[in-house]
Amino acid sequence: MPPFGWLKRLLPVVLGLTLLVNGCSSAPSRYDQVQKDTTGFGSSAAVARKAEKGGTFNQFFPAEEGSYKVIPYQEKKGFAEYKLQRGDQTLAMLTITDTISLPSAAAKYADATQKIGGYPTVEQGTTATGLLVNGRYQVKVLSRDPSFTQQDRTTWLQKFDLKGLARLKVAIAKTKAARVLAPTPQASTPAVPATPLPATS
Amino acid sequence: MSKKIYEIVDNLPTGGLTVRALKTLDLFLPHTWENLVGFDQTIKAVTGETDEAMVQAIGERAIALFNDKHEGYQTALWLYETIDASSGLLGTAALANRLGQDTFLGFLKNLTPKPEKAQTIDLVVKLVAEVVAFCKISGIPGDSLGDFLAALGAYKDESLVRMAALVCFDGLIPLGADFSTRALTMIGAMAPSELDSNPTFKGIKAELPGNSNADKLAFITQSFASTKGWMDGFIADRHITQGSLIDGLGGFIEGSKTKLDYLGAFLDVSVKYYHHTGVQTLARRLIERAVAEI
Repeated sequence: MPPFGWLKRLLPVVLGLTLLVNGCSSAPSRYDQVQKDTTGFGSSAAVARKAEKGGTFNQFFPAEEGSYKVIPYQEKKGFAEYKLQRGDQTLAMLTITDTISLPSAAAKYADATQKIGGYPTVEQGTTATGLLVNGRYQVKVLSRDPSFTQQDRTTWLQKFDLKGLARLKVAIAKTKAARVLAPTPQASTPAVPATPLPATS
Repeated sequence: MSKKIYEIVDNLPTGGLTVRALKTLDLFLPHTWENLVGFDQTIKAVTGETDEAMVQAIGERAIALFNDKHEGYQTALWLYETIDASSGLLGTAALANRLGQDTFLGFLKNLTPKPEKAQTIDLVVKLVAEVVAFCKISGIPGDSLGDFLAALGAYKDESLVRMAALVCFDGLIPLGADFSTRALTMIGAMAPSELDSNPTFKGIKAELPGNSNADKLAFITQSFASTKGWMDGFIADRHITQGSLIDGLGGFIEGSKTKLDYLGAFLDVSVKYYHHTGVQTLARRLIERAVAEI
């Protein structure tokens, strides 16, 4: 028998087993494609280099109000998030994000039929209401408790300093979409809140 | 090959020693922690979203964020993995094997309790790892202890249970009721060079703020001193004692009551709570960011 003849006979078995084991190591997932697209050489960053600093957005969030607490939660590039709490109960999350990293997030407002404060607004899924400022900055209120309704989300969206956010220089100067989706202060606002807004400072 | 965050979350265990040990903390933190397992299940539980297309969109954005190395999520995962791996004396596989063959006491003979100093370094380094991982995930600049302390008060769910486990399993059980004072005294008297002989410190050294061991020790001491009040208050407010904790654990670890030193070592090797709850925290925060951004 030639040297390593046994190896020759064993090789197909080993290869077969290897393929079987590797094949079984992970079941196909609906996330395999995005995993492939976002890893490896040449994959683009999830957050754009020119995205606004998350800390810039802090000044535009609503203030605490009565028994409602507004607690800082996360702050990353292009993203800031606060938690809306009453007592120990989390009612909603309040967020501002820079859509420069994810243009599809801004694109969904192109078909918006309603406005809040002059800015296009959409319902997303079953728990989120968002609006887009200057075609770039997305403001969202996301319910975390069934008692916090769509109406509540609309009410709290209006408590953000949307005009202040709209004055961010970079938003006006650098965003092409701003010219398309610029707010129209006189526009009708069908999504007005059911409850009157308290005076803001 | 890059790690798949959705598989890591899908593969979290629903039972076993880690989950059982964490469940014993229910006694002191009722209804705080639900062992949330599975990527899609986590998306649904965290966001309350039921629309499948939305769930997928949230999942895809969360994965993209995790895979972007500059975002810090991979470092946080590495910290949670490393802190557990380096603090254990034996591998989990070896432990499972021994438990299959022996009684608990038979198993204990093969474990050596750590000297108090090593246990203390483990405790303080784990706390600092939490500080650094928190900042990597939630994005507060790397040495902002004030923000961390404010957030610590608002810790919930698996994050709170992880801190509770740190205080109980790495503080109270091996070091006793005055663990925080003893630990602070001990690290105060420690030479920076002593840190390098500790595997837990060596495991995560590269991610700690500071250029030298002296800087890192100063950061560790400052972190521990700043959170000492929170840890002491946590134990006092919930009336946690070494005895009550051991009673809870005694329910599934036979013979543990009389062998405290060994119980600490046993928990050290067999309970991977940092990784388990760390992955859960990471998934939650990624998902919360993803649903805001899409």
